[in-house]
Amino acid sequence: MSEFTEPYESKWQAFLLLLPTFIVLIAFLYYPGLETFRLSLSQTILLGSQKVFVGLENYVTLATSSEYHSSFAISVAFAAVVVIGTLAVSLFVSYLLFEVDVGSSTYLIAAIWPYALPTAVAASVLLFLLHPSLGIITYYLEQLTGTSLDWFTNGPQAFAVVAVVAIWKQLGYNIIFMVAALNNIPETLTESAEIDGVGHLKMLYRVYIPLMSPTLVFLVVMDTIYAFFSTFPLVDLMTSGGPSGATNLLIFKLYRDAFEFSSLGLASAESVVLFAIVAILMYVQLRLSESYAHYGG
Amino acid sequence: MSDITITGLTKRFDDVTAVDDIDLEVKNGEFLVLVGPSGCGKSTTLRMIAGLEDITSGDLHIGDRRVNDLEPKERSIAMVFQNYALYPHMTGAENMKFGMKSVSNYTSAEIDERVREAAEILDIEELLDRRPSELSGGERQRVAIGRALVREPDVFLLDEPLSNLDAKLRVQMRAELLQLHRELDATTLYVTHDQTEAMTLGDRVAVLNDGEIEQVDPPQLLYDYPATRFVAEFIGSPAMNILPVELVSDGSDISVHHEQFELPLPNADSFTAQPKSAFFGIRPEDISLARNVAGDVPTFEAEVTVTEPLGESLLIHCRVGDDEIHVKAAARSSIDPGDRLELGVDEERLHVFDGTGEAIYHSSPRGHASSDAVPTQPEP
Amino acid sequence: MATQTGPSSKSVLGRLLPEGVETEQVIVHGGLLLSIFLMGLPLLLALVMSTQNTTEVYQITNIGVGSEGLSNYQTALNQYGFGEYMINSVVMSVIIVVGKVTLSLFAALALVYYRFPYERAVFMFILLTLLLPVPVRIVPLFDLMARLGWGNTLMAITGPYIASATAVFLFRQHFMSIPASLVENAHLDGVGPLRFLWEVLIPMSKGMIAGVSVITFIYAWNQYLWPLIIISDQSKQVVQVGLRFLQAASQSGLTRWGLIMAGAVIALLPPLVVLIVLHRPLLKTLAIQQK
Repeated sequence: MSEFTEPYESKWQAFLLLLPTFIVLIAFLYYPGLETFRLSLSQTILLGSQKVFVGLENYVTLATSSEYHSSFAISVAFAAVVVIGTLAVSLFVSYLLFEVDVGSSTYLIAAIWPYALPTAVAASVLLFLLHPSLGIITYYLEQLTGTSLDWFTNGPQAFAVVAVVAIWKQLGYNIIFMVAALNNIPETLTESAEIDGVGHLKMLYRVYIPLMSPTLVFLVVMDTIYAFFSTFPLVDLMTSGGPSGATNLLIFKLYRDAFEFSSLGLASAESVVLFAIVAILMYVQLRLSESYAHYGG
Repeated sequence: MSDITITGLTKRFDDVTAVDDIDLEVKNGEFLVLVGPSGCGKSTTLRMIAGLEDITSGDLHIGDRRVNDLEPKERSIAMVFQNYALYPHMTGAENMKFGMKSVSNYTSAEIDERVREAAEILDIEELLDRRPSELSGGERQRVAIGRALVREPDVFLLDEPLSNLDAKLRVQMRAELLQLHRELDATTLYVTHDQTEAMTLGDRVAVLNDGEIEQVDPPQLLYDYPATRFVAEFIGSPAMNILPVELVSDGSDISVHHEQFELPLPNADSFTAQPKSAFFGIRPEDISLARNVAGDVPTFEAEVTVTEPLGESLLIHCRVGDDEIHVKAAARSSIDPGDRLELGVDEERLHVFDGTGEAIYHSSPRGHASSDAVPTQPEP
Repeated sequence: MATQTGPSSKSVLGRLLPEGVETEQVIVHGGLLLSIFLMGLPLLLALVMSTQNTTEVYQITNIGVGSEGLSNYQTALNQYGFGEYMINSVVMSVIIVVGKVTLSLFAALALVYYRFPYERAVFMFILLTLLLPVPVRIVPLFDLMARLGWGNTLMAITGPYIASATAVFLFRQHFMSIPASLVENAHLDGVGPLRFLWEVLIPMSKGMIAGVSVITFIYAWNQYLWPLIIISDQSKQVVQVGLRFLQAASQSGLTRWGLIMAGAVIALLPPLVVLIVLHRPLLKTLAIQQK
């Protein structure tokens, strides 16, 4: 960088400008973040008034707890369903938005609004509309399929319902990025294929999706993080982790262990596991986006 | 191979008419260049022929088929784009093959064979396994041309294919395109905004302005006998000088009167009209310093304002009354701003345009044998 | 691709349609309308049901406008604390937006226009906080708030959110895209850093600031887990957690779903309005975020 692009020299001014951000990040992010690791090696006794060092005992507890195992497996399965479902629906809608000739900006707003949908609102609305005995959607689904739906007692159904709500809320975010990625594809590529009469599906699979792959990787990572971390209100408002643990996602279990059962050491160990998941995902995103760099040409 | 015949072709976008009722014929095996400033409708015309834009009205024939309503792939065309339109995630060969299955019934083996042949013609065999990001601009354009070649279309459409290349590469690719056309003899329609490209490449050149065709002629005729003032100023660099004049006739002789000079015109009988005021046109290289002009040619005086050494010549900007003219003089002439020059003109190369911009006079009559052009006078 | 018009397809459907209308586009429009309808259907139903009384709600297939009119909304706002919750949410979100934008502008100014040692390390230090979402540090953060005496305060639900790696990153990217010649000018004129920020950078970053504000507002408004934990005084709670309280609302033993739908609509409106009004800068900003 030349001296003109960094015109200011005073190290003190730079420090002062960065100070507020640093204070917040250190006090509320780094310090508690590191404390989580320390706490995960301890247990609280005497109603939380004392902490004792217990080494890796909390981790051993997690590693041997069948309840934790099942919560972990459910969370991974949940993330997979949410990611695949969100990507598939968003890709369908985004492709239509890309192909449409008139009204695309109006359609776009009508398709991305769930980005503004608070998770708790999504949960409240669908809790009612999908209610086993009162929900109008449930009623018509039952009429249509001839089955009886009761996700208040049926685990897999509850899992599916929570996943559907999670996907619904996440569509807007995905469509925003996919439409942008599609619109970045040079128009002449489409025209060149049009002259050859290449079919729409072939174009989608052979050209658009490969060219969108950096965006798709990014969305897989963001959607996975969302499925692990931002779905607490869904479980809390809709199922409380039930029936029989079928929707007991890691984030919900962490909340209960920490704030209902006051097992702070154990909960901290669960936080550390969540940290490992974010770290791995971010690393994957970084690696993959580097390896796709040549698509820019 | 086929010819392209366009009659009354028109394209309207909402209330803007981009292409206005044009007629054009590209003969079998001909290299025709469509040239004009940006926004003149040349790309739209090409895209209508390709089938990428709907035709508002008019007829489009390729060979003896009317193709207005055919899908692009049914028109037997191949197009080369300015930005190459190569798929970045496919190798050169994959780029050339992609879409071949859709456009034709070839087997994989036949397609491979054609790719190999095209690569040989273009000398790009070693580029086939590389992705576009590993190729230079010129190499990318070669692959893009190769993609058009393997389709063996009736007609090649090229949309500013050299515009993204640097100047040196452009000259080289120009020569290669010419050679390629000589080998293949394919009907080619080539769109560019660059008049030099148009002049060097075209068997014939069509000049398009504001959605209308101004003139279609072989390059030299276009240069020597511009049908309109627009063509006169667009073709050739530096541009032709245009000066407002009065036409004064004295019996059978006609002369132009400018506030600074009077010039009798030879072959006055070749005037097709004789308005009172008109525009006198002369190219910078057809004006010379009076001391270099032989005989008793009338001369006039001008004041030098700026001199631009171009290397092979010296371009002089002069004032003649209220008008400015450009004069091309020999390189290394010792002429400075402020000098007053005595100038003479080449009487063989004078042009007069009427107020609407139409040519009404060229001092040397246009040969009939040398031109096989379709009628070119724009509609009044 | 609004300007792209393909040639007309001549399929059976194509021949039945008026001139200039393409079969393909009919399918595309149909698919879009259906998708958008399905995505919006739950909201439409929620809107309708929010006007119904409990009896009407229990007639499952009744999708007519109910007899309550807007009175469920009034009840939610006045009797179930939604008025307070909304104020709390607005105050919290606005403080987070203003705080985050201000702090991030300062940090980006330092990162882009100052020369100081370990610049890269400082930037990495900020970026690495992306690895620390709330659930990763929730127990110690709760502890910390208790020790600071911030439990049940606005400080607790705003403080941890007013610095952000994403916002610093976005402003940094944007500043780096501003032509160096402008900076050079300011430098030659001897403009101080704060005036430079105020008179040059901020006016040139309006779109980006709007975009970051929308992202932040929607994010802040959506907070649920942290306020649920740290705010125990109901009158200080935010509207998302308010929806949780509403579930307990009942009338002669029956859950008042009409009331809950009204609460959900209320809790959705502010971010939805912000998104619709400011979707342009939001879309531009998100396009940069992906990097």
